[in-house]
Amino acid sequence: MSSNRPSALLSTTFHEEGYDHLVELVHQRDSDARRHLESLDVALHDPDGKVLVSLPVDPRQELLDLGALVAAHAPGAGRLMVAFDARYDERIFPYRPHHYAYLHRRGSALPSLYYAVNAVLGGVPDRIGATGLNNFETYLFLRRGTGERHSVLLGNLSRFAPSDVEIFTYYGGARHAREMTLGPKAHLEVALDPEREGARLERVEVKALFRLASYVVGRRVSSGELVLFDHLFTYFK
Amino acid sequence: MANPLRGLARRLLGVRRTPTYYLPWLTRPDLQCVLLLNNVEARFKAGYTQGPFPVSACQYDADGAVVRRYEATLADNLDTAEVVLDAGAGGCGFVTVDTRRIHSDLYVTLSDGESYTATHGRGEFVEHYPARTRALVRGLGALLAVAGRTIPAFTRDQYVYDGADSRSHLLLMNLSNVPNRIRIVGGGEGHAAAARLVTLPPMGSRLVDVASLGPRGTGALSVRRIRLTGNAWFNLYVVGAGARDLDGPLSLMHVK
Repeated sequence: MSSNRPSALLSTTFHEEGYDHLVELVHQRDSDARRHLESLDVALHDPDGKVLVSLPVDPRQELLDLGALVAAHAPGAGRLMVAFDARYDERIFPYRPHHYAYLHRRGSALPSLYYAVNAVLGGVPDRIGATGLNNFETYLFLRRGTGERHSVLLGNLSRFAPSDVEIFTYYGGARHAREMTLGPKAHLEVALDPEREGARLERVEVKALFRLASYVVGRRVSSGELVLFDHLFTYFK
Repeated sequence: MANPLRGLARRLLGVRRTPTYYLPWLTRPDLQCVLLLNNVEARFKAGYTQGPFPVSACQYDADGAVVRRYEATLADNLDTAEVVLDAGAGGCGFVTVDTRRIHSDLYVTLSDGESYTATHGRGEFVEHYPARTRALVRGLGALLAVAGRTIPAFTRDQYVYDGADSRSHLLLMNLSNVPNRIRIVGGGEGHAAAARLVTLPPMGSRLVDVASLGPRGTGALSVRRIRLTGNAWFNLYVVGAGARDLDGPLSLMHVK
């Protein structure tokens, strides 16, 4: 049974130039393919948090061509954080409030990626019915790694509050910590050393004051192209 | 079908659901497929903090036959076991993992020697149909198949992408002990929807090439809207490919 009060989702991704990047705006199509979001606003932020553009998107669209949107409104801007602020009938996301996207570097021989777009609280904590802590996350890496470089992409969706972030990396049991502060709407890519003292990168943890936009990213060393674009996992389910 | 009706139908048919964690696998001559077994997400969970944690996995091939069983032991919940999967018939399938002692998402990676892609598995279930229901499903399914149809027990919708230098395919997995006829409907933009019936053996899998679903649209990257209907529980992973399509490096990704 759906209520008259629309649900809300603030989800986030990151975009780099040169990629085909199609974002599915609904989780899945209903039998008549007629359900759609009630409203959707998209905002593009540069690494310092500055809003480059904020615009409404036709909520009847099933997919958003993010590459085309960025090319039209913020060409040459480098890495951008993209925030999707949606209102929707709960039947749009019957399972959980997240949606997917397709990502591929144009002309690349590397495989296309398909990923779940991050649902973020972003300083509006009553919007999503998260029942556990989701601001302490982890991710594992293949120890027999093949030379790719990993990093974490982090963005602070809060309106006014900066957030301290701690990133812990693990190599053969040894733990290394880094701390940084992200201003409102700011984002950064934190490179993770592939190896320390002869031990391979095994795991990363991200701790923050509240939920950040967070992805683990893998890049081909030879070209910098993305081979991994994935969400982390919470310790508390 | 509404959930209460589904539950009633399952009881009448004697269908049992066994909770099962599974991951997809793919092998190609130049791709290595590795499982990452771990218990790290249970690090702070009561009852899951004392190791060691024995873990076993069973790899099914595309025909639903067991390729191999794997055993590993995690010393504690910070330990990870990397299990290289064998090549099996059809080059694809899924692996079930006994997760009674572990409570964590598990990963599967595809490596071409220069980099790897990764995704995680799913904690769902496998459906077990009793003999009389299997016979019923087989008989009715064979009749409907003559007309290119299937028993519409489960439906999934999925977007797939088809471009000049990239595309997404579908790895279908039959999570039941009955043959699963899956009707796939979808066409390229501007084309009439094409339909195809794929039969998966019990616990079997098939890699569906999007090009087999009809001509692609005219844009540089066209989107196909696919509807899949099966007579038993199934799921799918999206398989990403680049310019060399299925002969090149690949990625796997879970869906809902």
